[in-house]
Amino acid sequence: MNGYTVGENGTNSGMTEQHQFQLFEESLRKVNKLVFQMLINEIIPLSMSVERKLEKSNDEEVSSNMSKLDVNEDSNTTNLLKDIVPSNQLIHDLLDTKDEDKYNKVIDRVRNIGFQVGNKLSELLIFTNNPNLQFKDMDILLIMKFVCRDVWKQLYGKQIDNLKTNHRGTFYLFDYDYPPIREFCIEENALKKELKLVEPFLEFPVGIIKGVLASLGYPPEQVICLATFVDRPNNDIPDTSFAKGISFHIQITTQNNQ
Amino acid sequence: MTIYSFWIFDRHCNCIYDREWTLLANPKSGTTNSKQNDDVSKLLYGIIFSLRSVTGKLSTDDTGRTNEISSISTGKFRIHTYCTATGLWFVLLTDFKPFNYNKVLQHIYSDIFVKYITNNYLSPYDFSENENEKRGQGTRKITNRHFMNNLESFLEPMISS
Repeated sequence: MNGYTVGENGTNSGMTEQHQFQLFEESLRKVNKLVFQMLINEIIPLSMSVERKLEKSNDEEVSSNMSKLDVNEDSNTTNLLKDIVPSNQLIHDLLDTKDEDKYNKVIDRVRNIGFQVGNKLSELLIFTNNPNLQFKDMDILLIMKFVCRDVWKQLYGKQIDNLKTNHRGTFYLFDYDYPPIREFCIEENALKKELKLVEPFLEFPVGIIKGVLASLGYPPEQVICLATFVDRPNNDIPDTSFAKGISFHIQITTQNNQ
Repeated sequence: MTIYSFWIFDRHCNCIYDREWTLLANPKSGTTNSKQNDDVSKLLYGIIFSLRSVTGKLSTDDTGRTNEISSISTGKFRIHTYCTATGLWFVLLTDFKPFNYNKVLQHIYSDIFVKYITNNYLSPYDFSENENEKRGQGTRKITNRHFMNNLESFLEPMISS
C-alpha cells in the first residue's frame, strides 16, 4: 500500500520500523477533528435523551400498552420532531434533575460508552505495530504511559500533561487543557454552575481509561477511576479557555496475579 | 479607521448581540446587550433587510447566486455586513476611512462565533426557544464570557486607530 519493499530494509531496523509506522499512519483515512470532537461531546446529551425516552416509554406502557404503538406508527415523523430537545437544554436538564437515580443512570451510560470505546481502542492501537509500544512484562506503569501517550493522542490529539504515581497502584493523570471542554463556558459569574455542568463530560474519559485497562488485564472491578477539577499549575487562568484542569485519580485495588 | 458599534442578528430576525462604544478613547466604554438599543437594532435590521431585498431583485446574475450587500454608506457612517448561509448577520458600523471589513467580520464569524458559541455545548445555538420568539420578538442575547472577551480583545485595536 505504501510502496515499501523488502529489499529497501536498511541495517538500522529501528529506524525502518519507525519509518514504516509513519507511512502507515499517513496512509490511514482522516476525519475532521472538529466533527469527531463534537461526536464525543454529543454522547452526554445522547445519554440524557435516551434516559428520557426510556422513562417516557415506561410511563406510556403503564397507561396503555399496545394501542399506543399503532398511533405512533401514523404520526411517527411529527412525534419525532416534537420530542427533539436541543443538546444544551438536555445538559442543563441533567444538572437540574432532582432524581439522583436518573442522574446516575445517565452517568453510567456515558461511562459505558467510554468503556466500550476504550476497550476497542487499545486493540486498534496495539494492532498498528507502533514501534514505540512495548508490552513485554505488562507493567501497569507502562500501561498508564500507553494511556497518557497513545490513547490520549489518538482521541484528543495531545498527550496528558502530567503523570504521577506512588508505585503502589495509585496514579494521577493531569490534563490541564482537556480539549473537548476547552470552549465550554456560560455567562459571567457562574463558575460553580459551569463546573457542575461540565462534570458529566469527564465521565467519558473515565470510561475510556477503565476500558483500556480492562482490555489489558485489569478488570473494571479492580480499578477505581475518578475525575476531578484541579487548578492549573502556576495559576494562569486565560480568558479564552476553560478555567480548570482535570485530574484523573486511578487506583488499582488488588494486584493482578497472572 | 474607527468602529462605532457591532451587532449580530440571527435568522429569527432577533438581535442576539449588540455592542456600542461611546468614548473612542476608552475601548471599555459603552454598552453591551443594552435594552435601550432594542429600537436601534430593529431599525438597523430594517435597513439591511430592505436593501438586501432590493439588491436581490436588481441582480442580473443568473447563476443562481444571490447578490449580497457588503456595505451601506450614509451621510454619517458606513454599515458593513456579513451574512452567512445559516441566516446570521454580522453588522459593523464604522466611519468612512476606506478599509475592507469583510475579513474582520469573517474572522469574527469563523474564529470567534463558531468557536465559542457553536462549539460550546453549554450555550444554545438557536437563541429562540419557543415559537413566540421566532418572529423577531426574542430578547435572548449572547452572554457567553469567552465570546465577549475574545470579541473585545479582537476589536479593541480598531476602535480608534
